[in-house]
Formats: sequence, C-alpha cells, structure tokens
Amino acid sequence: MYAAWTQKHKPRTISEIVGNTEAIQKFTEWIKSWDKRIPKKRATFLYGPPGIGKTVCVETLANDLQMELVEKNASDYRTAEAIQRFAGLASQYRTLFGGNRLILLDELDGITGTADRGGVRVLTEIVKTAQCPVVLTANNAYDPRFRTLRKYCLLIEFKNPTVREVMKHLKKVCEGEGIDAEENALKFIAERSGRDVRSAVNDLQALAQGKKQLVYEDVTWLATRDRKDVIFNVLRTILYSKDSWKAKKAVDAADMDPDMLFQWIYENVPYHLTDPHDLTEAMDALSLADIYRRRIRSTQNWSLLRYVLDFMTAGVAVARERTKPSGWIPFRFPQRLQWLSRTKAERALRSEIGMKVRRKCHISSVRAVKEVFPYVRIIFESNPEMAAGIAKWLDLDENMIEYLAGGKKQTKAIIAKYG
Amino acid sequence: MSYEMWSEKYRPQSLGDMINQTDIVERLSSFVKAKNVPHCIFAGPPGTGKTTAALCLAHNLYGKVYREHLMELNASDERGINIVRETVKTFARTRSIGEIPFKIMILDEADNMTSDAQQALRRTMERFTETCRFILIANYSGKIIEPIQSRCAPFRFSYLSREDQDRYLKRIIEQENVKILDEGFNAIFEVSGGDLRRATNTLQAAASLDKVIDAETVYSVIGRANPANVREMITVAMKGDFIDARKRLREMILKYGVAGTDIIKQIHIEIFRSGLPEQWKVKLADAIGEIDFRLVQGADEEVQLSALLARLTEAGYELKRGG
Repeated sequence: MYAAWTQKHKPRTISEIVGNTEAIQKFTEWIKSWDKRIPKKRATFLYGPPGIGKTVCVETLANDLQMELVEKNASDYRTAEAIQRFAGLASQYRTLFGGNRLILLDELDGITGTADRGGVRVLTEIVKTAQCPVVLTANNAYDPRFRTLRKYCLLIEFKNPTVREVMKHLKKVCEGEGIDAEENALKFIAERSGRDVRSAVNDLQALAQGKKQLVYEDVTWLATRDRKDVIFNVLRTILYSKDSWKAKKAVDAADMDPDMLFQWIYENVPYHLTDPHDLTEAMDALSLADIYRRRIRSTQNWSLLRYVLDFMTAGVAVARERTKPSGWIPFRFPQRLQWLSRTKAERALRSEIGMKVRRKCHISSVRAVKEVFPYVRIIFESNPEMAAGIAKWLDLDENMIEYLAGGKKQTKAIIAKYG
Repeated sequence: MSYEMWSEKYRPQSLGDMINQTDIVERLSSFVKAKNVPHCIFAGPPGTGKTTAALCLAHNLYGKVYREHLMELNASDERGINIVRETVKTFARTRSIGEIPFKIMILDEADNMTSDAQQALRRTMERFTETCRFILIANYSGKIIEPIQSRCAPFRFSYLSREDQDRYLKRIIEQENVKILDEGFNAIFEVSGGDLRRATNTLQAAASLDKVIDAETVYSVIGRANPANVREMITVAMKGDFIDARKRLREMILKYGVAGTDIIKQIHIEIFRSGLPEQWKVKLADAIGEIDFRLVQGADEEVQLSALLARLTEAGYELKRGG
C-alpha cells in the first residue's frame, strides 16, 4: 500500500533516465559490442555520486536488451570466497535459455577494510577472464583499493543531472501520482536535493503523498532547516524507541525549530501509534506540550521550552505500549500546514465578507462568520433572488458570492438576478 | 419580499419600537428626557437587544443625524490597546456641536478587550466624560474590570420570552408576506431560546427555502446552519477512525471558522444526548471537562480538541470490547 516512490516510479527503460546522456551512450555501446566479440575491457566501472541512476541504468538496459541480469550488492560479497562463487556465473555469456548474461556488482564502496582486500583481488581475476559483461558501480572509483582492478575496467563517470533534468523526472512522478505540481515547487525540491534524483523523489513523496496539488508554499519550509532525513530520524526515534531519554536526545542532535517539529509529531502520531490506548496517551502528551507552548507565548519565558520538548518527545515515546508492529509506514508532511497555506486565500475572503457584514449588521466580523454566515449560505444556496438582494445590499463581488453560494452555477443564477 | 438581512431591516429604530426589556427602555427613555446619559454597561446574552438599545438611545437623543454624534467600535475586531488610545481619544476629545454637549461611543463586545486596553479606556473615560459618554456592550459584565464597572450604570438584558419573540417575528411575516405554521414558531423558539438575531436569521433562511414554513423547514435550516457536524465527528472517532475525525475537526476550525469552545460545548451536549451507557456519559464528561479547561490554557484549539477525539476513540474501542 505504501510503496516508496523511488521504486514505484523507477525508470523502466533506459530512455526514461534523466541526464548522463553521454555516459549512458558509452555504456550501451560497450554492452552491444559484446555481441560481436569480447571487448578489450571485460568490465565497466560506473562511478559517481549517489542517487543519479548508475544502478538503474544497468537494470533498464538489461531489460531493454532482454539480458539476464545477475545483480549482487557488493556489501553482501565481501570475502574472497563469496566472490569466488561468482566466477562460475561469469564464465558464460549465453545462458541456457538463449539470452545473454550481465553481471552487476553494485556499491563496491561497501568492500572495506583489510579483510576485503582479498575480495578485490579475486574480483580482479574474475574481471580479467570474464566471458560476459561485468558492471561494477561505486561512488569513488579512484579509491586506492581499486588501483589494479581499475586497469581492467572501462571507466564511465556519472555526474549529477541538471536541475531541469531532475525536475523532468519529478514531473513524471507527479503525473503518475495525479498530482498537479507547481513548477517552482519542483524546482525547489530539485535544487534542495543537490541534484540527487533519488533523494528528490523521496522528498517529493514526503511532501506530496496523498495530495492533488503541490504548491510552492508546501515545500519552502525545507529551506529553513537541514535535509528531511534529520526530521525523519527524529520522528523514528520518538515514535519507535520507547525510550524517553533517546527521544529527548534525538531532538537535541537535530537542532530543529520546536514548533515545526511539534507539527510533524502531531501529524504522524496517529499513523504510527494505532492502538487507541497508545494514541490517547500520545495525544495527551501533545496536549500538555501545547499548554506549555501557550505559557511560553504569554510569558515569553523561554526556559519553559524544555517542558514542551519533554512532552512532545519523551511523552510520545513512552506512549507506545500496545501498538502491534506493522510494516513500513511513511512519515507524512504536516497536513495542517498545507491546509493553512492552501486555505489562506479562502480565509482572507471569508474575513473580507465578514467585514462587509460587520459594516451593515453591527456585529464583529468574527461573530458574523459564526452567527450570520450559516444562514446567508443557506439563502445563497437555495434562493438566487433573495441572495441577489443581499449580495447587493452587502456590496459583495463575484468571488464573495461564489464563496457563499458554493458553486459556479448557483453564482451565475444569483448574478443573473442581480440586475 | 425584500432582500436584505431581515435582522437589520427590522431592527427597531427608536426606543419606543423595542419589543421587550421594558424596564431598561424606561430608564433609557428617562435619560433622553433629561438629555443626559451616564456611562453604561449593557450586559446580556446575544440577540437580546443590547446594540439595538444603544443605537435607539442615540437616535432618540440626537434625532435623524444621530450618526454624526455616534461612534461604534467593535472590540473583537480592534481590541488592541492602541485602538483605545488613538481612535477613542480622537473621537472622545472633540466637543459635539448642537444641543447635547456630548457624543456617544458604543464599544461592542467590550468583554473581549485585553485588560491593558481596559485600563487605558478607564482613563480616557474619566478625562473626556464631559464630551463623550461610553456604552460598553458585553456578554458578561464580569469580564469588564472593576474600575470601569464602578463608573458605569449597569443594565442587564435577558432572553426574550416566547410571546415577545413571536410578536416580533409576526411583524416581519406580515411585511414580507411569508406564511408560517404554528409548529414553525415552536421550532424557531426551540433553537433561538429567545435570541432574536438567531430567530430572525432562521426565519429568513427558512423563507428562502419554502413558501410555507413548517417545523420541517425550520429543522432543515438548523441542520444546514451547523457546518460543525459534531455528532458525525464523534461517531467517526468512536468507530475508531481517529484520523478522519481529526480531519473533520480541522475542517470545522479552518474552513468554517467554528470556535473551539463552541465545538466542545456541542460535544458535551451530544454525548449526553447519545445512546451511550450512562456510566460512560459521566466518564466522558470528565474527559471533556478536562480538555475544556486545557482549551483555555492551550495555544492550539485543534491540538487540544484532537486529544479529546483520541479519548473518544479509546472509549469507543473499550465499549466495543464490552468494557
């Protein structure tokens, strides 16, 4: 149900990958050259920063060319022995079923320490004699450990795509999710991610999941603080550690705006503490935190902040007692902040109408909203003639009429009677 | 039928038109006769004629041009201390031209003024007594600081009786050519409880729906006028969907501008009207009372009320388990 968008919207064919056109071209040519003869370099070494499509490039190309992809994460194959088991696989190009084989050894950076040295040596031997294409990936190919290995590999560098290119991918994800996203919102996410496509998609999911629209205001909060991972780590500790001390410490380390953190916790608590008893305890803690927030505001005594933090972190952390463990549940961006930014215009319009009513009805605009609007709404929804009279009397413009009438059709009917 | 808000169209213009609160009208008329008005506090529930009485008093006092001698401020909209300092002072200090040497300042919803603003007001009232008389309007006179109370003549307004309300509504009905059954009158009084503004608004909204107003028309107005569908929210919470209940709460507060205190009041009523086991009603009343108390102390209405929704969710869960 909660698929990670990085998986769900992963490119399916190589043409869907954004950026790195030259590198991809070079890589494709090398793979295709295997059909003629075994090339001089039997392995390629794709290197570059994380999250820009090295692995995806190999996966999609294998898919496009209908090759059998044998994919191993290097961190699982650290020792010489384990890698040796690979040798058998690498000794054949054509598989039993007539397809071609492609071996991918991912995240070579994971091979670390002296214990793995032997691993690299064995790997080098395999590469030298491989009968099928072998692809290695790493963030840094120039690590001294790979000195010998490098000699036998075709080195292809992957670079960060441009902001435009990252945006192109984000747009596609939005289309797939049915989200209407503002250009500058996506631009913001792309820039913030440091042009790391995977991280940008993760950000997008956190910001936009379950929504129809994504506007600039929804994403700008990212600017004021560090990457979202920080927030997610804090949330994870607060909602899952059951440890009051850890929960408190997590906030110290994160150095976040407490109000923003409060909103994140408040939003996410019910999704993660699903047992009614735990939920009640956690919401109660948040309610108490909120009371201290108010005390700070009215007294300006900021030393009370520690109690706000106590309740919203430790108080929530210890609430977890009966909730049964479940699968991965994503953290959600505080919906309320989005509501607030989205309803800003509407609320402004409402108070504008409130002022109009106030002028005529000797009642404060606040009370007008509460005590007069409900009746005016009924009239506007059901009696265009009477509504037109009132609209004229209150001097309402079309926007205001529509707000009260609740629909374009009814608005037109009222304006027609306006005369 | 005419097309403005009837609550304004039929607002009494002079003290003689006022339909109830006879003691108050009598005393105010005597001020008019003496051409002198003390500072006043009009206190009482909404829709009982406080603002109307103040406007009528001014009308009777100054005649047609009464607007020139009158200023109306609403403390809910401009309750800052600066408003009192600036606006009130500027208005209060200049002498009125004409037979009556003072102006009238109506401060509506004065109980919403901060106590600082009230302190500032107190000095202004004293300094400019000769040129300006204040009428403070409030729901609760208790929220007005003592020093101001002691400078004012107090007037207590109360809800209209059924008879008075019907008399007022019948005047409107005749003018507007609306037909209403007796059961319609009953239903209106049931919701208004003698709050004339609410009664009149209900009548007008009902008239916008049907040619002949019966009880059902009135009830449908009442139903639709309550965007805060508190009952549904409670049901959703008690069925266990806290997230949906919280969303509904958010909508009430943000979209319809319903006050948190009104929502909790309704939750309280609904719980006791519901078919819950009796012991549970009392248990929940405790939870509601606690949150009501916190609501006043807390910074955020939604956070406080959703803590209550969580308790309702828990109660629903325990009930289902037969607890």
